[in-house]
Amino acid sequence: MTILEMADALRAKKVSSLELTNDTLAKIARENPRLNAFITVLEESARARASAMDAELSHGIDRGPMHGVPIAHKDLVYTKGVRTTGGSKILKDFVPDHDADIAINLDRAGAVLVGKTNLHEFAYGITSTNPHFGAVRNPWDTERIPGGSSGGSGAAVAAGILPMATGTDTGGSIRIPASFCGVTGLKPTFGLISKRGVMPLGWTMDHMGPMTKTVRDCAVAFHAMGGSAAENVRLKNSDIRGLRIGLPVNYYFDALDLEVSESVRTAVQTAAALGARIVDIKVPDIDALNVVGRMLLLAEATSVHHEHLKRREDIGADVLTLLDQGRLIRGSDYVDAQRLRRIYCREFSKLWSEVDCIFTPATPTPAPKIGQTKMQVGAIEEDVRLATTRLMRGINVLGIPALSIPCGFTKAGLPIGLQILGAPRAEEMILRVGAAIEDATAVVGRRAL
Amino acid sequence: MTDWKKTAAALDPPIPEPDVEKLLPVMEALENAFRPLQRTLTPESDVWTGPEDVG
Repeated sequence: MTILEMADALRAKKVSSLELTNDTLAKIARENPRLNAFITVLEESARARASAMDAELSHGIDRGPMHGVPIAHKDLVYTKGVRTTGGSKILKDFVPDHDADIAINLDRAGAVLVGKTNLHEFAYGITSTNPHFGAVRNPWDTERIPGGSSGGSGAAVAAGILPMATGTDTGGSIRIPASFCGVTGLKPTFGLISKRGVMPLGWTMDHMGPMTKTVRDCAVAFHAMGGSAAENVRLKNSDIRGLRIGLPVNYYFDALDLEVSESVRTAVQTAAALGARIVDIKVPDIDALNVVGRMLLLAEATSVHHEHLKRREDIGADVLTLLDQGRLIRGSDYVDAQRLRRIYCREFSKLWSEVDCIFTPATPTPAPKIGQTKMQVGAIEEDVRLATTRLMRGINVLGIPALSIPCGFTKAGLPIGLQILGAPRAEEMILRVGAAIEDATAVVGRRAL
Repeated sequence: MTDWKKTAAALDPPIPEPDVEKLLPVMEALENAFRPLQRTLTPESDVWTGPEDVG
């Protein structure tokens, strides 16, 4: 069930929050040995919370569409009294004394927290093959990665365990697992959703956002995370007639898996059939944006985890390498990267006078296999991490909103993601476009497992 | 170009030598990509300062 289906069923008294929560906990017990999507499960507190939410509804207290809905937090999100590991051995026993703002907001919206999801260590990677808590597996093919770093959240939603989980995105960490797992993920405008109480990775590129099964659920969860939980946040309009959708003629379609390219182009045709106007555009130098993004993240992540480097033996090999690389970045180079960033933000923003949103593939390929470090993309062999992030990393540098939705499947049955980019604070518009594509393609009805 | 081995050895504490070898190709490639971009900066190029620069 989706958030909105649960909301309707709860108000029609067809189901209680406690029943939904018990069902979710049963699914976790059944699926987690296979998927390893959860680090912590909160059976007792979830049942108590669900009962309290049922009592409120029975007394006429209605907090909005997330009232009584089971959710999970990425285990990077501080939860008061509940351990928050960051996917790290060093923090395996860390118990915060306060909630993150997004946890407070979802709590106020009436959500029922059932667990904390597994992730790439410190959220610093795209595989979610965690050396301390085990690899998260993709529900569509358990030999494959779910993507990362919010891999547990993506896998849990894709498997139908729950309708929503939180994610964080510093270089694609919401949108990559959304693409690989066939779910919806929104990286909002930089700074729009509070980061307070979420373990940082890159101070100036971290974004918080929801991962859901559907775009309409994503709209509801996005507003709840931001602190507005009222019923009127439901996305009603999916009319995209007259909208100008930008289709990049450079970079984004240059090196892609053929099936990904075909699916995304079909989504573009779908948008045109729904009345949108497709506009060819030339995007600024995305390779340059990605280089700036890598410089910034290397330096910032090492700043965040500098103290943890004293325990090198307790850090996974891939993350340790990145943290060491960050130690080698000069201060003046970091500042110059931030100067370049300002120039590129201004260059890219000029596109918004030509188009309302931009369609790109989310990832160049479907999900790679667990343990795979190189992959073939068209005629080129690429590093899995660099290939998987190259259509997304630059968007974190720009800070603009980006939505990843499923737009098709490969012949082997793996999901394919479409990325929809918008101008700063254009979340409502890109969600509207996403909902229109979702309605027209009926991709979401297909189930993993 | 930067002598990454020397830089790694000069850090306090230094990056252990076997680990440095793993970093070299990535750092060299990153520097090769970054320096030409850096050369486009002018004295007027100001620093990104936060959400107001997002637009």
